[in-house]
Amino acid sequence: MNALRKHIHPGWLIIAPLLVMVMALYLGPILNILWLSVTDPEPGFGNYAKLGESDALIRILWTTVRICIITTVFSVTLGYSIAYAMMHCHQRQKNYMLTLLLVSFWISILVRTFSWLMLLGRRGLVNVALEDIGLIAEPIAFMRNELGVLIGMIHYMIPYAVLPLLVSMQAIDQRVMDASRNLGASGSQTFLRIYLPLTTPGLVASTLLVFILSLGFYVTPAVLGGGKVLMVAEYISVQLLVTLQWGTAAMLAALMLFGVLAMLWIMSRFMKLSTVFGGAAR
Amino acid sequence: MQDKQFMKEMLTDSAQAYKQGRMDRRTFLALCGASGVALTAVMAGDAEAAADHVVMWNWGGQSEECHGSAIGDAFTASTGKGLRFDTSGPLEGKIKEMVESGNVTADVADADLFNAVSLGPTGHLEPIDYSVVSKDKTLPGYALEYGVSVILYGYAFVYDTEAYGDNPPQNWADFFDTAKFPGMRSLYKWANGSLEAALMADGVAGDALYPLDMDRALAKIKSIKDESLYWGSGSEAHSMCVNGEVSMGMVWQNRGRNIENDTDGRYKLVNNQALAMPGAYIVPKGNPAGAAAMQFIATAQEVPAQLALLDCLGMTPSNPAAFGQIPEDQQPYAITSAMNIDKIVYNDPTWWGENGGDAVNAFLDTIS
Amino acid sequence: MADLANTGSLQLRDVTKMFGTFRAVDSVNLDIQKGEFLTLLGPSGSGKTTLLMMIAGFLDITHGDIALDGASIADVPAEKRNFGMVFQGYALFPHMSVRDNVGYALSVRKKPAPEIKTRVDEMLELVQLQDFADRKPTQLSGGQQQRVALARALCFAPPVLLLDEPLGALDKKLRVEVQEQLKDIHRRIGTTFIYVTHDQEEALSMSDRIVIMRDGSIEQVGTPKELYERPATRFAASFLGKSNFITQGVKTFALRPEKIDLRVGQGGDDARTSGTIRSITYFGSMQRIIVDTAQGDEIEVDIDVWRNQEALSVGAAVDLLWQDAAAVELKET
Ligand SMILES: Nc1ncnc2c1ncn2[C@@H]1O[C@H](COP(=O)(O)OP(=O)(O)OP(=O)(O)O)[C@@H](O)[C@H]1O
Ligand SMILES: [Mg+2]
Repeated sequence: MNALRKHIHPGWLIIAPLLVMVMALYLGPILNILWLSVTDPEPGFGNYAKLGESDALIRILWTTVRICIITTVFSVTLGYSIAYAMMHCHQRQKNYMLTLLLVSFWISILVRTFSWLMLLGRRGLVNVALEDIGLIAEPIAFMRNELGVLIGMIHYMIPYAVLPLLVSMQAIDQRVMDASRNLGASGSQTFLRIYLPLTTPGLVASTLLVFILSLGFYVTPAVLGGGKVLMVAEYISVQLLVTLQWGTAAMLAALMLFGVLAMLWIMSRFMKLSTVFGGAAR
Repeated sequence: MQDKQFMKEMLTDSAQAYKQGRMDRRTFLALCGASGVALTAVMAGDAEAAADHVVMWNWGGQSEECHGSAIGDAFTASTGKGLRFDTSGPLEGKIKEMVESGNVTADVADADLFNAVSLGPTGHLEPIDYSVVSKDKTLPGYALEYGVSVILYGYAFVYDTEAYGDNPPQNWADFFDTAKFPGMRSLYKWANGSLEAALMADGVAGDALYPLDMDRALAKIKSIKDESLYWGSGSEAHSMCVNGEVSMGMVWQNRGRNIENDTDGRYKLVNNQALAMPGAYIVPKGNPAGAAAMQFIATAQEVPAQLALLDCLGMTPSNPAAFGQIPEDQQPYAITSAMNIDKIVYNDPTWWGENGGDAVNAFLDTIS
Repeated sequence: MADLANTGSLQLRDVTKMFGTFRAVDSVNLDIQKGEFLTLLGPSGSGKTTLLMMIAGFLDITHGDIALDGASIADVPAEKRNFGMVFQGYALFPHMSVRDNVGYALSVRKKPAPEIKTRVDEMLELVQLQDFADRKPTQLSGGQQQRVALARALCFAPPVLLLDEPLGALDKKLRVEVQEQLKDIHRRIGTTFIYVTHDQEEALSMSDRIVIMRDGSIEQVGTPKELYERPATRFAASFLGKSNFITQGVKTFALRPEKIDLRVGQGGDDARTSGTIRSITYFGSMQRIIVDTAQGDEIEVDIDVWRNQEALSVGAAVDLLWQDAAAVELKET
C-alpha cells in the first residue's frame, strides 16, 4: 500500500470515480462499435474486406477526405487572417468582431446552410443580381454541387478555426515583434520567422479541430451537395437507420476513429500535443 | 425508410428536430446500452403507466395533433384507453435498436409497409392480429403478416408550366427526356420511387415493375445524372421547385398542392404513373400495451378516421370504402380518388423489404 | 567594432510626444556623445520608455527631431536605424536557440553562415554564454537571459544600444553583478549606451551622465557626481539620494544627511541649529537619526555607528553642524 502511495498521487483517488465513469461512457460505446464492426452481420473481418471490394466505399472515403482537406486549408487560412485582423485592429472593432464570431456559433447549421441557398442558389440574390445587370446569361452553379458543399462547410468552420488562432496570437508578446524589427528584420521576415512559428501551435490546433469536425459533417453536404456529394457521416447514418447494415456503419466509424488517432499520433511525433491544446510551451 | 419524413415536414420545426431527434436518441441509447446502465431504469417512468394507454411512434408536430383527432379520440371512446406519442420518428434502424435493447416503449409505429417485410421475419415486430384488424379495409396485397397499410402516399412529379407550357410532360418518359424537355430534374435520394420512375421511363409497364431490374433502372438514372439534383426530405423537394432550381421535380404527391399554391400555379402536379406507397402501422415486438395496439390499428382503418387523416395530413385513404367519399377539392391530390386511381401504379413492399438496403446503396453509389 | 569609432552621437531637439492631448515627452533637448553611457532616470510614468521608443523608431515623434551624427533619422523606420535594443523583459524569441537569437540580426541581413557563426561565438564569449548556445531561452536563468538579450542587441555592432530597465527582473545581488559586467562590456566595445532605470543607485554607479526626467521633461542633466553634489531642484535632490531642505528667507537649500554632524549637548557657538532626537534607526554601516529642531523642522542625519554610542538616545538634546559648502542653494523650490 505504501509502495503504491509512492507512485500514485492521492489526488487521483478523489477523481477516480469520475475517471471510471468517463472511461465507461467513452470507452463503452467505442468498444461497442469496434465489436459491431467485426460481428455484424457475421463474425470476422468481412466489413473491413469490403473496403477492398467496393469502389463505392473508397470513393465516399476519398470524397470525404478531399472535402475535409480543402475545407481545412481554406478555413484555417481565412481564419488566420481574420484572427490576425482582430488582434491588430482597435479594441472596439475587435469586440465587435468577436461578438459577430460568437454569434455565428449560435446560429443553427441548418439556418446557415439554407441561407447559402438563398444567397447563391440558382435564383438566389447573387445570381439574380448578376443576371439583372447583364453580367451573366445563365445562373452560375454555386450550390447543389461540391463547390456549394465547400462554401457551406468553410463558412461554418471559420469561427472554429479562428478561436485557437486567436488564443495563440494573444499569447504573443508585442515586444518580441518589436525586437525583430529592431534587429533589422523586414515585415515579412518578422512574420515568417517569428510570428508564424509562434502561432504554429494555434495553427495545428485549429487545423486538427477543423479537420476532425469536418469529418463528421452531415447536414451541409446533404443539402448543398444536391444529393451528389456523399460524405462518410451521412453514409454511416443511412447504413444505421435505413439499410440496417450496422456492421458497415461500425466499420466506417472505426475507420474514422483510427484515422483521427493516427493523425494525432503523427502530429505528436512532430510536436508536443500539450502545446497545441493550450498547455505550457515548456 | 425515410419516406415518412414528409409528415413532420408539414410542420414548422422541420429538419432540425429531425436531425436532433434522431441523433440524440441514438447516442443516448448507445451510451446506455454500452455502459450497462439499464434502460429499464432510465425509462421506467414511461413503461409502468403503459397499461392504460397506447404509445404511437410518429414524426411529431402536426401528425401528433392529427393522429389524436383522427384516430385517438375514437379509440379512447371505444376502449377507454388514452393515446400518447413518441415523436422521434420510427426509422427502421431505430425500431431494430429499440427491440434489441430490450426496452420497448412504443406500441404502434407509423412506418412503411416494406419495414414490416424486413423487420418482421427477423423477430422485431408483433404479427398483426387479423381477428381484430381487417384485411378488407385496405388494398389487396397491403395486409401483410407484420404490418397493414393504413394510408397511402405517392411519388408523382411537378413541372414548370413556363418552361413547357404548350407541350407539357405527361409521364416518366417525358420526365427523363432532357432532350425534348431541357432543364434540371430532382429525384428522391433514397432510391425509392426513383427506381420505379426510371424503369417506367425506360418502357417497363407499371404492373411489371417487380422485381426491379436494378441495372436498367440505374442506367436510366445515370443518363440524366448531370441534369439531376437529389432531395432527401419533402421540404427540400418543395424548395427545389419553389426556388426554381429544377424545371421538373419528383415530389411526394401530397405536397403537390402546396407547390402549386406557393408558385401561384407556375408548377403543376402530374399524377399519371404516380407510384402509390403503402404507409403502414407496425407493432414493435413486446410492445407495452399488448393487444390494445391492434384495436388502435383497427380504429385507424375505419372510414371516418381515413377521411380525417386525408383532411388533416393529406394522406390518401387505403380503405377502398373511403375512396368514394373523398371530397371534391381533395380529389386531384389524393391518388386513390376517382380521377387518379386508374393512372397509378403500386409499390411492392415485399421486394423493397427484401432488397431495399442493397437498392439504396447501389443508388447512392450511382448518384454520388 | 572599429567601424564604430566615428559614429554613435545623438542629437535630440525639442523632442515631444503627444498621446492625444497628453504630453508624455515634452520638448526634450539632449546631446549624447558617442561612446557615452547615458542613463534616463525618473519615476514611473515620467516618459523614459516613450523617449527611448522614439529613439528606437517604434514611436513617431510628434514635434522635434532626432539626429544621428548630425543627420536626422526621424523618418527612418525602426528596422533601418540599426540601433540595438534590450527590451524590458528581454523579448527573446522563445522558439529559437540562444545561438539563433544572437545571430538573428545578421541572419536577416543575409550574412553568410560562417560569418554569422564566428560573430555569434564572439558575442557569446563576450557575455560568457559559450556553453549555452544550443539552449532555448526558457532553459536559462534570468541573468543568462538578460545576457542573451544583450548579445543579440550587440551582435550587429550597432552604434547605439538602448536598454529599457534591463535589470528590472533580477534580484538585488545578481543585479549588482550584472551591472558590473554591463559596465565592463560598455568599456570594451565603446558603443553609446542609453540606459533607462528608476533605480538611483544603478544610475549613480554606472553612468557617465544621468538625465533626470519628470513628467516628460528633463529636470537636470549631469555626471552622477554633479547631480548628487549640486542638485538643481528639490525634485532632483530628493529623487537622487536623500536630502534635507532648509529655508532661509526666500532661499531653499538642499543638505545631504551624511554631510551633517551631530553633537550631544546644546548651545555650541558653531552650531547651525539645535534640537532633540526623535528616533534612531540602525542600518549596519551607519545610523540615521531624526532630529526635531527648535524651528519645528525635521532633519535627518546619517552618522557612523561607532560614534557617541552611549550618549545618543531618543530625547537627547543635540547641536547640528555643517560646512557652508554642504548646503546647496536650489534654483527653484
Ligand atoms: N500608448 C500610449 N497611449 C497613451 N498614453 C501613453 C501611452 N504610452 C505611454 N503613455 C503615457 O505616457 C507616460 C509615460 O509613459 P512611459 O511608459 O514612457 O513611462 P516610464 O517612464 O517608462 O515609466 P516606467 O518606469 O513605469 O516604465 C505615462 O503617463 C503613460 O501613461
Ligand atoms: Mg518604462
